[in-house]
Amino acid sequence: MTAARSEAEAFEALFTAEYRRVVGIANRVLADAHEAEDVAQEVFMDFHRLHSATADYAPAWLHRAAAHSSLNRLRGARRRQKREIAQALEEDDRTVDPQRQAEIEEDRRRLREGLARLAPRPAAVLVLRASGLSYAEVAQALGVGVGQIGTLLRRAEETLRKEVDRGSSH
Amino acid sequence: MFDDPDARVGADASHLESCAECQARFKTIADDARSIATLLAAPERRVDMAAAFARVSGAQKARPVALALRLPAGRPALALVAAVAAAAVVVVAFAASGFFFQPTKVQAVPITLSDVQALSELANYGTLTWTKEPQFDVGGTAPTTGLQAPVVSKLPKGVSTTVTYGSLSQAVATFTFSEAKASAAAAAQGKSLPSLPRNIDGATLTITFGPAVGEVYGDMSRSTQQEINLPQLIVAKSVAPKVTSTQVTVADLKKVIGEMPGVSADLKKTINAISDKNDTLFIPVPVEYASSTSVTVQGVDGVALGDNTGVGSAVVWVKGGYVYAVAGSVKQSDAIDIANNLK
Repeated sequence: MTAARSEAEAFEALFTAEYRRVVGIANRVLADAHEAEDVAQEVFMDFHRLHSATADYAPAWLHRAAAHSSLNRLRGARRRQKREIAQALEEDDRTVDPQRQAEIEEDRRRLREGLARLAPRPAAVLVLRASGLSYAEVAQALGVGVGQIGTLLRRAEETLRKEVDRGSSH
Repeated sequence: MFDDPDARVGADASHLESCAECQARFKTIADDARSIATLLAAPERRVDMAAAFARVSGAQKARPVALALRLPAGRPALALVAAVAAAAVVVVAFAASGFFFQPTKVQAVPITLSDVQALSELANYGTLTWTKEPQFDVGGTAPTTGLQAPVVSKLPKGVSTTVTYGSLSQAVATFTFSEAKASAAAAAQGKSLPSLPRNIDGATLTITFGPAVGEVYGDMSRSTQQEINLPQLIVAKSVAPKVTSTQVTVADLKKVIGEMPGVSADLKKTINAISDKNDTLFIPVPVEYASSTSVTVQGVDGVALGDNTGVGSAVVWVKGGYVYAVAGSVKQSDAIDIANNLK
């Protein structure tokens, strides 16, 4: 019983420490706070089903799963992008003039379309770093050396830039 | 790079200050990074932690196969071992193609940590549980499973002659396919299930491990939670794992999971890496940490693992219905030599 209780306590502590950050990662990708919470909860449920909350790799697993699950959703839901980003902008950019707002909306839509076309690892590197994870945390989440993160990030940014340009020329 | 102060130091920093070409390139990179970060920004919303926690903690918890091994926490190398052990469970399970499988030889299958994590997706299509949990017994001066421990006839110089015996009871893990869970997973992707073989709902895959016995050479008391102090040498012998399935063949199950909507490329790749050779035990080799080569040990084919981190090496082979392993912080040539001279 003691072991079961301490596992439950450990899971609650892990949830308290990481839930906001996991939602944040998903929200970067999806630009939809409700859907981001859905992803985060699924990620925690998956983790809870199969892993111990005391595992060393718990935060890294959650971060990586959040990035991949939300990127998977993004790939399957491009048609919903416009609506979602419009909703996000409604809350974020109320003070921006309508024409500028439309431009930002278009840039963000293209960026997320490009992100959905990237290979899983570069996409995850970008999203995790943009979500405020340190280089060391991104490295842990993706199982690569911290020394590789700078290069991975730079290449991912370059590829994304090309993807966005390719998308806008179509 | 623009946001990493450590990326511009010493000679690189001085060069950057004086080179217009590099400055222009750096500016492009920094502009790209800034604009992407800005465009990826999304408004945060306050989250209802209590409601979210209630939903998440109410989800059914299956007995985790990997962590039921109860390996000591707090050491990255051991967390890796636990993850690889979990991968081994699934790899062994999916190596089988008929209703029954017991390997007679070994082969390495390269995996990455992302493959290991992808394997946890199997929970979307059923449950993986211990039907008989493994019991470890470490610290005795003689084996306790009744299994005859192999005898090392020649120890390399420098390896301690202090021996600790460890044993592992027979353990059984079962994966049960659930049509309802698979359906829900497909629905979450907005798709319906592909046509399934009859009788697949509730089909089980049962993997039996052990019993096993091991000898650890070296002073184990020196290990601490802070440092990874692998024993100098471990020699282990286990009854070869057995896999049985009910209702459908393992090949059917493998095909169905490969065709599920939403199954990740990582999981598909991992499952496909395991061919239908029904006489082969696949050893998951984490490519980030180790490399593998085929060797001949005791007259049979074996797999030698070299640890890229410099921590050690291992040799694994199957003979006479048993899986043998020699591993430790020794040179690979020494590990092979010990393996060939086991009695």
